[in-house]
Amino acid sequence: MLELKQLNLKQDGVTVFSQLDAMFQAGQFWGVVGQNGVGKSTLLQTMAGVSNDFDGQISIDGYNTQSMSPVQRAQKLSFLLQEQEPCLAFSVKEAVGMGRFPWQTLKQQDAFITQQALQTCRIEHLQQRSILKLSGGERRKVEIATCLAQQAAYLLLDEPLNHLDLVYRTHILKVFEHFSQTQCVVMVCHDLEAVRKHCSHVLMLLANNCYLSGTSATILNDDNLKRLFDDHSENS
Amino acid sequence: MLLLFLVIVALSVGSVHVPLNTLFDSDSPYFDIIWQLRLPRIINAVMVGACLALAGLLIQNLVKNPLADPYLLGVSGGAAVVQLMVIVTGLSLSQHLLFAFGFMGSLLATLLLLKLSYHGRIRPDKITLNGVVLAFGFAAFISFILATASGQQIKSMMFWLMGDMSFAQPNALMPVLLLISFVLLMKNHRALDLLARGDLFAQKSGVNTHRINLMIFIITALLTSMAVAQAGTIGFVGLIIPHLVRMMAGYLHRQLIPMCVLVGACFLLAADTLARTVMSPIQLPVGIFTALIGVPVFLWLNRKI
Repeated sequence: MLELKQLNLKQDGVTVFSQLDAMFQAGQFWGVVGQNGVGKSTLLQTMAGVSNDFDGQISIDGYNTQSMSPVQRAQKLSFLLQEQEPCLAFSVKEAVGMGRFPWQTLKQQDAFITQQALQTCRIEHLQQRSILKLSGGERRKVEIATCLAQQAAYLLLDEPLNHLDLVYRTHILKVFEHFSQTQCVVMVCHDLEAVRKHCSHVLMLLANNCYLSGTSATILNDDNLKRLFDDHSENS
Repeated sequence: MLLLFLVIVALSVGSVHVPLNTLFDSDSPYFDIIWQLRLPRIINAVMVGACLALAGLLIQNLVKNPLADPYLLGVSGGAAVVQLMVIVTGLSLSQHLLFAFGFMGSLLATLLLLKLSYHGRIRPDKITLNGVVLAFGFAAFISFILATASGQQIKSMMFWLMGDMSFAQPNALMPVLLLISFVLLMKNHRALDLLARGDLFAQKSGVNTHRINLMIFIITALLTSMAVAQAGTIGFVGLIIPHLVRMMAGYLHRQLIPMCVLVGACFLLAADTLARTVMSPIQLPVGIFTALIGVPVFLWLNRKI
């Protein structure tokens, strides 16, 4: 169980969202929705330990994440960044294999799991290519495969569908759905239709530190959606 | 990799051999020259080359900038100011003292940079900018010293600034430091790979980026300070060798680290051998040759890929 208690999210010292409580459990596929800048990415970054600027408590299976080492945390949580950083020209296989970093497993096992992740994301045919020579969508698949190879219990995804074509979107959403049957997925996504169709639960972040959480059927009703879009028009 | 090791051996033997016409390992009058003068210098070149190439690999990973070279840390400036001042004052210090002064100067400069670029953690973006600006500051100092120095002093200063292997004695610290760095880096080779894919990526994948960045900074600073104090500012090795090695060996640090050490060593040894044989008996600063060999080789390789 990944639990957030009285969480105040901050960015460069400024509070982005305050007083957030949430609980993510195995068997759930969460969609996080909300307008731009409301703090969705900051939420994921904070949960993943990339941003340590927050008040409140985050715990995984009862352990406070603040007292976990980066490796321990990475064994529990894998995180898909929204944007790729500039980097060296590793091959696709090398890149996906990096997801195995937190684990002290045998080389053969690492190679096997890497191959599995490549297959799941349908990029086995690219494995010798340099990641800098891929298209935007192909590169996205590499990052997703890296997260899958990490074999963590919680998969945090920041806009995983960016750059992906329609056919592949459906495929990868099904992969996440399958993953969430035994593990837990938390996905930031702007595609409400995809969230309605695939996510079991929704966390809707609204303006003024309001939020709604619950099963997607209860949250994604017309009233709430209107609130979400009204907030949008007020701010823009 | 074994092959490269042989290249080193061959080179070192060759450089001794060639000018002396196969008179090697005997009771000949050349015996002392080989063992007392040539060999220490060869060891020195190998060590300095390895240090600089390894430091270059690390700094490029730390600041994520392919144009970074180890002197970005202000190391060369710090050492230069101190050692040129020693030359100006005309003090005749022993080799070891001179080395100690240079080493201290470069470490002080690095500490200054670390202080400026450390806010709870190392900020690689700040290192680049602060490093470049500091280097300008040191350059002004160096120009000032050069402008006020006398003719004879200027020549030895120019040699030092262009990198010069002729005065240095081998120093036991260097292999020890190199070995420790090598072992530490090889232990963390996977973390270094992840770091090369971005700081955020490394952090979210379980790398303690604060600690590893600090380790990289310290190792780079020590290796470079050592090399500079020993042989002056030899340009180009730290910048070019890592690129060259990446073209040959790919991007995984498990290969990059040992290859950088070997290729750096071979490269500087070759350059130094040329520096002392091309116009012999006149000895030229090795910095000239690192650039003369390095530029065409690099441009050629870069064109092919």
